[in-house]
Amino acid sequence: MGDSIVIENLSRYYGKFLALDNLSLRVPEKENIGLLGPNGAGKSTTLKILCGLIQPTSGKAYIDGIDVVAHPEQALSRIGAIIETPEFYSFLTPVDTLNYFGQLRGMKGEPLNKRVKELIALVGLEKWSKEKIGKFSRGMKQRLGLAQTLLHDPPVLILDEPSLGLDPRGVVEFREIIKGAGKEKTVFFASHQLVEVTQICSKVAIINNGKLLAYDSITELEKKYQTLELAYLKLTGGV
Amino acid sequence: MSDFEKLGVVIKYEFLKHIRRARLYIILGIALLAEALVLILVPTLMTGGFPDNVKVMAALLTVGPSMAALGAVFFAGDAIAGEYESKTGFLLFTNPIKRILLWSGKYLAGFIAIALLMIFTYIIIAISLLAIYQEVPIEIFKSFGLALFYAAATLSTTFFFSALSKGSMGATIMTLVFVWVICGILESVLALTGNPYWYVLSAGGDSIALVYGGMEQMMSGFGGGFGGGSDMLNMFKSPTLGMAAWGMTIYFVGGFIASIFLAKRRQLS
Repeated sequence: MGDSIVIENLSRYYGKFLALDNLSLRVPEKENIGLLGPNGAGKSTTLKILCGLIQPTSGKAYIDGIDVVAHPEQALSRIGAIIETPEFYSFLTPVDTLNYFGQLRGMKGEPLNKRVKELIALVGLEKWSKEKIGKFSRGMKQRLGLAQTLLHDPPVLILDEPSLGLDPRGVVEFREIIKGAGKEKTVFFASHQLVEVTQICSKVAIINNGKLLAYDSITELEKKYQTLELAYLKLTGGV
Repeated sequence: MSDFEKLGVVIKYEFLKHIRRARLYIILGIALLAEALVLILVPTLMTGGFPDNVKVMAALLTVGPSMAALGAVFFAGDAIAGEYESKTGFLLFTNPIKRILLWSGKYLAGFIAIALLMIFTYIIIAISLLAIYQEVPIEIFKSFGLALFYAAATLSTTFFFSALSKGSMGATIMTLVFVWVICGILESVLALTGNPYWYVLSAGGDSIALVYGGMEQMMSGFGGGFGGGSDMLNMFKSPTLGMAAWGMTIYFVGGFIASIFLAKRRQLS
């Protein structure tokens, strides 16, 4: 099996601030990898580059071997992503929204309708499927965000704090959905919730100041630092 | 899936957004109210009722479509800026579609919404003229075409400000100031000083009414003009419709291309 995500010497400046400093990382196919780091470490910047939302200052990023900067459309067709708290068009309903994004990805007719129903049930939004999203809470938007991520059954999921804003039941349901999806897909997952990362991912990458500090299995990091939390704190300078 | 099909999908859902928003109906209401006011106030204030010349009344009623054309500002103000401001772009831009198709789809959806408003206001004009004069001047088609062109130019101008501005409100205000204040002042100054002003966007708006005749003809329709004011009116040299159309082309093409250029450089960080 090859690598689903390849990041090579990625750097990104915001004005004079260096958010990513020569970051290199490979995410093997069908593995679930957590991306950890304190606020401002460069996690979201990395994921935004992978999703074609921003351009790197230098370096390369590939999804399934496709250069994200040179061929964004082809690369984006391989991913499902939630970046930050997803915001939707308030005048559309979940059904409209999923139909819109599904059609942009070439889905149509009965298969699309069936998939939309399936996903709305999966994320628990059946009662709200025909309500305008303008009325939705943050957690409900997060659920809909997950549905649109899985809509086209992409081989790669890129998730940035996907359970932010969910109630405890929602967090558990969310985790189960991602764990289920992660058996067949590559999941690259940024989070501050170490417990969540431990339950979903086999391996983690810890970054700070845009640099990769560690990239290893959770088991190995726990052997070296006793717990993942201690590993995180020591590596990011908190202990 | 072809780019053309993707464009069709964007138009479909962007148009759906427009018809679900209150602003479409508010603009339609304002346009119809403007026409109603003309229909009520003209016979009330003029001795002898409506003007004798149907073209004068037709020109006066173009206030409705002119208002509808300005609706472009409210449809397009958030077209580009809104994706960044409200962060909906985080979802939209992760779809495999070229940005130029997204912006073009938004543009076309906005244009279709305005065209529908225009059609509605022109139907009201035609019905009113038929009821009052039992005829509709053939120039109404030319006026309709120019009104659509003016709407397209205003839409492009709004897109430009939407690509430039951080927020939707800023884009809307900047466009309104540009179209109503800056262009209005520029047009008045240029006209009063005897200079050509066909390239000012508001001159395109004037052309919607000028298809029915020049300023002088309009004023004579009110029974001899406005006394001393007619000297001032003589100084106005209205641009030909062809020149006004060229002026609108500059805003229509230039505004859209500039907005695409600016939007392409924007990143969702």
